[in-house]
Amino acid sequence: MKSLRRLLHICLFTSLVTLFFSCEKEDLTEVGQTFHLRHKGADMPIWVRGNLSSNKIVLYLHGGPGDCAMCYRHYLKGLENSVAVAYWDQRIAGSSSGKVDLKTLNYEQFGEDAYYTVKLLKERYPNAKIYLLAHSFGVELAWQFLTTGDNQKMVSGLMAVNGTFSTYRWLVQVREWVLREARKQNKPEVEKYAAENPVTRENLSTYQWEKLYRHMMDLGGNPVSLYDDKAFVVNYVFATPNTALGQFTHGKAYEQYGKVEMQKFEKSALLRNIRIPVALFWGVKDGVVPVGIAHETRDLLTATSASLVTFDASWHEPFVSETDRFIAEVLRFVR
Amino acid sequence: MMSALLFSATGVRAQQLRLAYYGETVTHYGLKAGYEIPVGTRHLRNETVRKEILFAPGIAVYRHPHNHTGIVVSPELAYRRTGPRGGFYELALAPSYFRYFLAGTTFEVDETGAFRRVPLAGRNAFLPTVSLGFGKDLSVRKRAGFSWYARLNLMQQRPYNASSLLRFSLEAGIIKPLKKS
Repeated sequence: MKSLRRLLHICLFTSLVTLFFSCEKEDLTEVGQTFHLRHKGADMPIWVRGNLSSNKIVLYLHGGPGDCAMCYRHYLKGLENSVAVAYWDQRIAGSSSGKVDLKTLNYEQFGEDAYYTVKLLKERYPNAKIYLLAHSFGVELAWQFLTTGDNQKMVSGLMAVNGTFSTYRWLVQVREWVLREARKQNKPEVEKYAAENPVTRENLSTYQWEKLYRHMMDLGGNPVSLYDDKAFVVNYVFATPNTALGQFTHGKAYEQYGKVEMQKFEKSALLRNIRIPVALFWGVKDGVVPVGIAHETRDLLTATSASLVTFDASWHEPFVSETDRFIAEVLRFVR
Repeated sequence: MMSALLFSATGVRAQQLRLAYYGETVTHYGLKAGYEIPVGTRHLRNETVRKEILFAPGIAVYRHPHNHTGIVVSPELAYRRTGPRGGFYELALAPSYFRYFLAGTTFEVDETGAFRRVPLAGRNAFLPTVSLGFGKDLSVRKRAGFSWYARLNLMQQRPYNASSLLRFSLEAGIIKPLKKS
């Protein structure tokens, strides 16, 4: 009995010590803040890091869907001396947890989550201007958010990195990229496949986009692998708040999204309503979201000035392959 | 259960206390305390080899900085074989309960779209666990009155988002008998 009591005391002491160290201060001038947004079953972490006294927050909208935000801090950290960066993991992505209904994996819900994330940041940091830095799927999410109601008034600008405004136009551009590269690389069988499988609005819902995507990757559409960067991997496993194995569980949840939801995404007609400043940052060698999409985006943004910044030595993630220049371009935009 | 009955025929040893480092890696750190109750012990080869079935309830608390603080309650059933020199290996199963507390403040969106702070926000989960470990009973050669051990725990957290999450943890510590066997 005495031993059991001793064990109970050890457990209680351990719990108290651990909980004590896990408590975080509420001082908003701190360079690091962690909080969670709980909405419709999802517990989504938001990590704010960097220079909060700048009164500028760059909200990073990660790609995927199902990718992570904080994992890219390794490449975006250079921003933090000048501005604050908010790393938000979307539902069923990164380190987000909870008990989430797969039916919530749709653009409306992602847009709503983004709305509450921005709203929460504005309530927490009322003097700060918020800029969106969106990558790949994050760009789709940004257009969903910005073209809904008056949401665009909540932010001061958008930096869109290699992402699309329309699934249809994306596939058209990917096919053109594949045709061009297949000719250049002398791959007649791939060229034949792409030529025989045009993308139309009519066949969009049944189009076998995965096959086209595979050909694009085989042609070198994005040879950059983060896992080749040992510093990134070590940082990811040991020095970040990411749930290390969580990242590998998310893909399965997006099967239905890939089959049905993704094909519905179409914001072409709504881009003319965008009035906030927009910068398009593009890795020009990218086959995943070819630079043709950047040109189309710029042409559709008729009510604002959209600048196009190209990264000639980059594919899908210019912040990985041309980190320093990317950081400089982001800072130039937010200044 | 049958194994436990077979083992119980040859008597049981003293209960033991277990204290260990517990964490996913060195950066996700914590502590674990456990209590080992031998259900059955069997001696072989002139009592130089020992096989035991143990019931070992335990509790682990760890911190994943800026992510969550976790508490794992594990009612373990373990098999341990100790050799003539005191070296042992063990296999354990536990239908654990997992409670975690999210780091920082959690804001929940209410029906009106306003934010509500959630005190001690977190979730409960089922965490079935398989553990493989090894160690050395230093009392066999009279070097010291305790054992050291290390083990790898493989766990499946359910629910996690819309499915489950494979977790692992490392455990290393000592096992101290509460009285001489």
